[in-house]
Amino acid sequence: MSAAARLHALLWGVFSLGGFIAAFLLPVLIYVNNIAYPLGLWPVTSRDPTSLIVTDQIIGSLFVFVTVAGSLFHGVFRFTATLGELGLKDHVERIVSVGYAVIAVGILALLYYLLTLNPGFVNMVLHLLGPR
Amino acid sequence: MARYRPEKGPKQYWQEYKVPYRRDTVVLDALNQVKAEQDGTLAYRWSCRMGVCGSCGANINGVPRLTCETFLHDFKGQELVIEPLANFPVVKDLVVNFEDFMEKLVRVKPWIIRERESPVEEGEYKQSAAELERYSQYSSCINCMLCYAACPVYGLNEEWLGPAATALAYRYIEDSRDQGKKVRFPIVHDMKGIWECTLVGECSVVCPKGVDPMLAIQKTKILGAMEAPKSILNPQTLKAILPRGGQ
Amino acid sequence: MSQKKEYPELPRKKLGPGWWLGNRHYTVYMVRELTSFFVAVFCILYIYQVVVLASAPGSYSQYLDLLRNPVMIGFSVVALGFTLFHAFTWFFLIGKVQPLKFWGWTSTPVQSLIINTVLLVAISLVIIDLFFMGR
Repeated sequence: MSAAARLHALLWGVFSLGGFIAAFLLPVLIYVNNIAYPLGLWPVTSRDPTSLIVTDQIIGSLFVFVTVAGSLFHGVFRFTATLGELGLKDHVERIVSVGYAVIAVGILALLYYLLTLNPGFVNMVLHLLGPR
Repeated sequence: MARYRPEKGPKQYWQEYKVPYRRDTVVLDALNQVKAEQDGTLAYRWSCRMGVCGSCGANINGVPRLTCETFLHDFKGQELVIEPLANFPVVKDLVVNFEDFMEKLVRVKPWIIRERESPVEEGEYKQSAAELERYSQYSSCINCMLCYAACPVYGLNEEWLGPAATALAYRYIEDSRDQGKKVRFPIVHDMKGIWECTLVGECSVVCPKGVDPMLAIQKTKILGAMEAPKSILNPQTLKAILPRGGQ
Repeated sequence: MSQKKEYPELPRKKLGPGWWLGNRHYTVYMVRELTSFFVAVFCILYIYQVVVLASAPGSYSQYLDLLRNPVMIGFSVVALGFTLFHAFTWFFLIGKVQPLKFWGWTSTPVQSLIINTVLLVAISLVIIDLFFMGR
């Protein structure tokens, strides 16, 4: 396998995993955050679902990270391929580069801001790593 | 019927024919009747007339089918539109140039590859029923090219290896007698190989022999995805990419 | 001996951008693929929500008001619909490529779809119970 094909095979594996994540975990997040909460439907929460599960909640933050990062990778990867089939074949390389940039920025931003919302967890990890 | 007679003119044109109808008439019978009694200039391929040679593929009402297996009674009340197989250059009338397809079939090395050929005295290579079951479906391909005519990815990009060639490669990868994975993997896992496929699935819908090339392509992708991390973690690869050769 | 004449071939017909409207299977395929657009857009909006929550808590209530906007709710309902369509088509395709096997029984794609849908509902209920019930 060429290096490009080897890398593509790995990315396809991640894309495939993202497909499972988008299938099993994304629907409930869309429903609870974007439909149930604004319309006051079940499950009714004391405040918005996102701040409830990511603020100082490492397990909730992990759920959000896995769901959104995996789904973002899957969605963007697939959408860039679809654009190629919709007549933009000549621009595919540029589209794919923009796609990967969106994925990278999105995942890094999500990781960074979830960590800032969990200072207790971050302090614990820094403590475990020992004094400098 | 779509006609193309390059000796007469540069463009494709339509010609209408009326043929006698019987319940068991297939499209190939209709073509033969036209050629024998109405228009001897009509050019098309056919051979076995029983769905095993793969010669008589054509686009019938927009769908790639074998003319010998397509009954007129399935189109009762409709106009029958017959064109050459899509996604191939046309030589004449319904005859297409399939050199690209043949090149791709040969490219995947469709024969048993052994690291060591056993001498005749050692006897045959034994294979259990379960081992045969793993690939027998993919060995049913009759090279009719209907899958290539149906595949929009091939329609958009002629360089894509294609459904039949990939299914054929998978047939040999899964054959327990074959030891040619190292030879075939770089061919199928090329960027113009299986990674072009986006799971449209029309290849498997039109296949007249139940080969299911879409399934073969996906299984090959899974093999590739499993192989990629192993090849990256291979000591020689690591040595090549780590600073100071990994020391 | 007669001279062999070479005649030009008709080149391959180019597939236009509307090729997927040509038959029902192609159209269903493209709709399935376009579900990825809604998945990607929702994720980007959600990441933005987390960014606002973490970096501009004063503006967060404005974002929550945006969630209540009928256009946003409409988009979310459509996104959920497409995400579920993606899930069902994914389960069916996975059922073909890697059927479930238990004690000599192998699932058909439809059985795989049903089993995975039940699993989806179960996982969703567990997540709701774990993170949102009574909180």
